[in-house]
Amino acid sequence: MTQSIDTSSYSAITEAIQAEAQRVLGDGTVTAVIGYAAARRKGSAQPIVISQADDAARLIFTPACVNNLAVYLTKAKKEIPRNGRIGIVVKGCDLKALVGLMGESQLKRENLYLIGIPCSGVLASTIQPDTELTADTLASKCRECDAHQPTGCDFVPPQLPVAPELEKKYQAEISRLEALTPAERWAYWKEQFAKCIKCYACRQVCPFCFCEQCLCDRNKPQMVETTPRPAGNTAWHIVRAMHLAGRCAGCAECERVCPMDIPLNLLNRKMAKELKELFDYEAGFEVNDKGPLTMFTEKDDQSFIK
Amino acid sequence: MSRIGVFICHCGENISRTVDVERVAREVGLLPGVSFSTDYKYMCSDPGQNLLKNAIQEQKLTHIVVAACSPRMHEKTFRKAVEAAGLNPFLCEMANIREHCSWVHENKEEATVKAVEIVGMMVERIKKNRILPGITVPVTKRSLVIGGGIAGIQAALDIADCGHEVILVEREPSIGGHMAQLSETFPTLDCSQCIMTPKMVDVANHPKITLHTFSEVELVEGYIGNFQVTIKKKARSVDEDKCTGCGVCMTKCPQKKIPNKFDQNIGLRTAIYVPFPQAVPNTPVIDRANCTWFKTGKCGVCQKVCGPGAVDFEQEDRLIVEAVGAIVVATGFDLYTIDEKPKGSAIKGYGEFGHGKIPDVIDGMTFERLASASGPTGGKILRPSDGKEPKQIVFIQCIGSRAREKGISYCSKVCCMYTAKHTMLYHHKVHDGQAYVFFMDARTPGKSYDEFWRRSIEEEEAVYIRGMVSRLYQKGDKIVVMGSDIAVGVQVEIEADMVVLATAIQPQKGADTLAQKLGISYDKYHFYSEAHAKLRPVECATAGIYLAGACQGPKDIPETVSQASAAAAKVMTLFSKDQLEREPIVARVREAGCVGCFACKKVCAYGAIEEKEIRDRQGNLIKTVAYVNPGVCAGCGTCQATCPSKCVELDGYTDEQIVAMIEAL
Repeated sequence: MTQSIDTSSYSAITEAIQAEAQRVLGDGTVTAVIGYAAARRKGSAQPIVISQADDAARLIFTPACVNNLAVYLTKAKKEIPRNGRIGIVVKGCDLKALVGLMGESQLKRENLYLIGIPCSGVLASTIQPDTELTADTLASKCRECDAHQPTGCDFVPPQLPVAPELEKKYQAEISRLEALTPAERWAYWKEQFAKCIKCYACRQVCPFCFCEQCLCDRNKPQMVETTPRPAGNTAWHIVRAMHLAGRCAGCAECERVCPMDIPLNLLNRKMAKELKELFDYEAGFEVNDKGPLTMFTEKDDQSFIK
Repeated sequence: MSRIGVFICHCGENISRTVDVERVAREVGLLPGVSFSTDYKYMCSDPGQNLLKNAIQEQKLTHIVVAACSPRMHEKTFRKAVEAAGLNPFLCEMANIREHCSWVHENKEEATVKAVEIVGMMVERIKKNRILPGITVPVTKRSLVIGGGIAGIQAALDIADCGHEVILVEREPSIGGHMAQLSETFPTLDCSQCIMTPKMVDVANHPKITLHTFSEVELVEGYIGNFQVTIKKKARSVDEDKCTGCGVCMTKCPQKKIPNKFDQNIGLRTAIYVPFPQAVPNTPVIDRANCTWFKTGKCGVCQKVCGPGAVDFEQEDRLIVEAVGAIVVATGFDLYTIDEKPKGSAIKGYGEFGHGKIPDVIDGMTFERLASASGPTGGKILRPSDGKEPKQIVFIQCIGSRAREKGISYCSKVCCMYTAKHTMLYHHKVHDGQAYVFFMDARTPGKSYDEFWRRSIEEEEAVYIRGMVSRLYQKGDKIVVMGSDIAVGVQVEIEADMVVLATAIQPQKGADTLAQKLGISYDKYHFYSEAHAKLRPVECATAGIYLAGACQGPKDIPETVSQASAAAAKVMTLFSKDQLEREPIVARVREAGCVGCFACKKVCAYGAIEEKEIRDRQGNLIKTVAYVNPGVCAGCGTCQATCPSKCVELDGYTDEQIVAMIEAL
């Protein structure tokens, strides 16, 4: 029988964030709150920005609240952060993105009011929104989540998350790929990248792709081929993986939005694993002035030079 | 429309031997944008430069490509010539068809094709070069000298005598370095202390020299003319200002049996100590690892007997920051030890000599201390094991040096001479003794050097045996030396009372770490690399940093002193102007695209990147972007490579130019 995951606390969490949002909007602590609201399809949820205390009742938290809202602070709604301190509902994984963005001078902690969610997990992107949350319907990233309980927030509802021990799918898949020969591994990724249609949804949804002009959109010189052909696709995905190394903390939004089901977060997790092994570094836990790839220390491995 | 002139150099035969230079000139002459191309035997010579200047005027050239050697060799030469002909010097680039082509290929046909491609790439790149205005930066006329041996002392005195302030940093409690340890010096046999200690006193008394002993360089920031150096002054536990150097503390210290590193650990010292009586400064240091107070919290005798109250157990390491314009690195050498080496080290040690476990097998520096009047035996040659005078002594040269299988292939340069000196000192002190020397060959170039070596054989009765030693072992109180005499072709066995090894010169431990702090390059042995082996032997490739002494490679005293004075002269040249002209090849930020992630600022090794606010007409902040301070930027291009949205460009090396070069292939 499939192991079900207890989400009974989610309604209490919903009430708690509604009350908190009403309070901080009412007393002027924040000018807006970014959160989730019910969408049209049964059980589904969508991002919402509210600026009136009365609208706080629209906020919800359910297993369908999959989006990483951090993206609304950097590029999706760029004008929002200009208007004063902002409240934002964050799951542990989303919080890691915010931490990274603070380290990269894109956000300031004092401009944010963080409403943390003790999250037991959300639904996978392929599952209908009104489905019950079980070990089978759970998003892969939640299976290896190490931030069910967010830390360092301004407000966290008192409910505790449940986190059953489950098989770690990304880790298993990385081990499988690492065991392949370089030729077999290359064949695997070639096949994956060949599917790409260059819609750049992965870029648009990623909180770390905050450049005003992506180098892929430049034509003087042309860095990455624009048409969806294998060479250009591969170039794009390598650029993406390299740019996220040491920064991506695994919200897996890229993988969720990919219409061609390319396992993008798998690449990101592999890079994260390398960073952990080489520099003992994990992204998203503290605001760092310098990440491992923008820093030189005398302890760095230099065996490759000799 | 550009009118590019291409000039192909034969470099004597260096290039023309493997590259058909006339064909290169002919083929690149056909490239779009090239209006003139020619070849000449020596482009860098006066007629060669005149050829260039005349062509610029006659052909109305707008851009110049000189296909010759590395730009590190002659870029400045040609840019100067181009400037003299009325063009902006940065419209001249070099295509390296010597190091990158003729020197590394043998097939003339293929090398010629490659040379055409190298020049073709440079033609495409130069089309997009901009006119760059010159940049000047102020020069801080103070100098840092790292290392207080003879090299550092000489450099410091020369710079200070010229009227510039010098900060001299020494890791040990006293300056003097290895030269202070020596007994007599070749080829004149004058006493090392007698010629060294007055110089040490000069340093201490010089009004322009600030001396920091027992200190290390912690951090170096900035660039030529404008370095900020953080120096760690290690806790001496004695107040340098209060201490009068009376030495009562040392006589009363109950810990008296600590091996003294200055005496190669054969002499003993106290826990509060100066390494040797002539130390500068004459201020003791407490060796906290061996001090009873620091180990048990009891004792404190030195503090009680100190009249001026200089002993301070509470003293802590201090960091001080000094602004300097130039740095002389004079960190010196260390000796190879024949002990077992850790696994993974290229240095292998000498198992056949017992890995340093036979007590009367000593190295040359230990022999110096035995022979020195100020040494632990008062200048008597006595065996470390039982204090007897050795009657048969064997010297073995090239220990570690010139032994590829032991991990070092170079010659340590000074050992032939100091071994000859050792045989003389031995003969002077032990009249009935006999010295033998095992050697591969004697390397004695240098004024009066060969005469000195011959004197050791002809007048001082040293027996030189050409051949190497295969094994040393203890037999009773003798050491059996098994070697070969290849001149006669026989095996030799000598029962010696003492064996002295001429061990290889190596860079100081931690030389690599210091190089990384300074941003200078080093070779596989960790000797520091000069900018050019022949023409820039005292400069580092990093501007504003100079080398003196054995940190750059094995050297004897005269050579070290010459190099130190040369480095000082380079520093004075730098200090002779108030403003320094810098190459204007610097990074620029495309502000429209910059998102202010400041990854560039994080990776910039020079601290050249600042934050700049962009505001609208009402003064509202629109965004904060990166700004490159052109006076600080060194043009390394790290920011350009790091910027995720490619919004930093290095002049002369823009993405457009690099892509144009690739597409030219």
